[in-house]
Amino acid sequence: MSQPLGATSEPAAAGAPLDPSFVPDPTIEVQDLSVWFGQKVALSELSCSFGAGVTGLLGPNGAGKTTLMRAVTGLIPVNQGRVLVAGADPRANREVYRRLALVPEDEAVPGGLTARGLVRYEAALHGLVDRSAPDRALERVGLLDVADRRVDGFSKGMRQRTKVAAALVVDPAVLVLDEPLNGADPVQRLALIQLFQALGAEGRTVIVSSHVLNEVERLADRIIVVVHGRLAAAGNQRAIRETMNDRPRHVLVRTDDGRRLAGGLVGLASVQGVTFEPLGIVVSTTQANELAAALPGVARDLSVRVREVRPLDDSLESLFRELTR
Amino acid sequence: MPARGRRAPWRFGAIVGFTIRSCIGPKRWLGCLLPSLGAILFGLLARGLDEPPLEAFVRVASTGVFGLTLPIAALVIGDAVFGAEIRSGVFHYTWMTPAPLTTIVLGRWLGGWLVALVTIVPATAIAALVAGVPRAVGPAAIGAAAGSGAYIAVFIAIGCIARRAAVWSLAFVFLVERLLGAALNGIAQLSPGWEARAIFTGLLRDVPANLVRKGIPTGGSGIVRLEVVTIVALVIARLSLHRLSLSGASD
Repeated sequence: MSQPLGATSEPAAAGAPLDPSFVPDPTIEVQDLSVWFGQKVALSELSCSFGAGVTGLLGPNGAGKTTLMRAVTGLIPVNQGRVLVAGADPRANREVYRRLALVPEDEAVPGGLTARGLVRYEAALHGLVDRSAPDRALERVGLLDVADRRVDGFSKGMRQRTKVAAALVVDPAVLVLDEPLNGADPVQRLALIQLFQALGAEGRTVIVSSHVLNEVERLADRIIVVVHGRLAAAGNQRAIRETMNDRPRHVLVRTDDGRRLAGGLVGLASVQGVTFEPLGIVVSTTQANELAAALPGVARDLSVRVREVRPLDDSLESLFRELTR
Repeated sequence: MPARGRRAPWRFGAIVGFTIRSCIGPKRWLGCLLPSLGAILFGLLARGLDEPPLEAFVRVASTGVFGLTLPIAALVIGDAVFGAEIRSGVFHYTWMTPAPLTTIVLGRWLGGWLVALVTIVPATAIAALVAGVPRAVGPAAIGAAAGSGAYIAVFIAIGCIARRAAVWSLAFVFLVERLLGAALNGIAQLSPGWEARAIFTGLLRDVPANLVRKGIPTGGSGIVRLEVVTIVALVIARLSLHRLSLSGASD
């Protein structure tokens, strides 16, 4: 997979359709980025950009998502290519950290500190004089009531929210969150998703990685898929799906006579195959629009009643399976 | 946008305070306290030797206090103020800020040294009292203060260079200082442990010649030597910090 679906390696020229790997007004630019650890290549010639709004970063374990986030935030040096945040290299210009914050995946927190203590520490190191800023950040993640409890005694979900508060206290223009919903209960997840959406709507650049794909579907305006250290796809869900029109899709058709309908469908040019499942028949196609147009006619001609037609792979899980296959 | 304004002194204070807190965190305080108690026990041990009190204490302090409890206490503190944070993946809370790297290094070192100044340094002085040599209190405290400052700077530098800082710090103490330093004056002149005991014996003045190591700076010259070692170690730490790779928790 040397080229992301629907993407070229360079930003589009003026007037040309924009490559989905890039955004028109980027806050973060990643250019031909390669990172390796010894013999292991974690990222390979990856180019993309991030702008205002929420961008979901997807990929299987070991795909390079965390490495990309650490490179973007300047925590690791890059071997090749470059990363620019607001036009500056975070490894060379520490002023970048006035605008950039990270919520890492690591569960560890500094021992012995209270939630308020950790957030205050961040505020102090950023030179904030507004003494109410830490409490505002804690309130935003719903931890103000327990702000004086030690973070190392918190549940996983509460630790995650404390880390989010420590990132928010500096009012970052760019917020990078590595699996921020890990350990949060359903109510907290919903609250955090709403918070990230609100931050994106405020014009901040919010990058969220997650392995819980349906949550990314709910919160991200744009999705970047990284597989084996390379950019595999970029754009919104539908755009990514449209660029995959040469790959088979699966459609579940519930009917009162699946065998007869299957016999009629296999003759269509748009149908690659039909399998029988307990819920109905599953039709494989590379031309979903043609199938959708032809299906009612076939059913009518065969006097078969169609109860439901449902694509099985419009979720990100199926997209992911396709891309990693 | 929250108002920003407080600059270096505020940040420096925050880093020092955070560092001190790191040393008194769960289990860490015990790691700082036990070597200090060990130093006092060495003072008691000196009292039991069949020698004049001064000679007995110098002998025991050189080997036990400056050769064992001081490096162990400094190692516990030095690891707490830097290496442990990198290992556990929480150093980014300090790294991802506009705080200058020099401020971070100096703040970490000062915080660690302050912890040493209230743990192992007074314990070394108390050991002299317990051993019945009150006039050794000052030299012992000065030797421990200078030695712990240099040790912590060296351990911070090791933390900036090596991933497994605790292991490399132990290797520095037992392989470089103990083995090479015992045989080679050139190494001993750069060793916090050897120089700390040379400061101690040099400031006492009337210590029997067989208890004073020849060929390395003693007394006030030893203090200057350890200050140079401290500064060089902090410069190395500052330069290495720029190339630090924070790839997450490792242990």
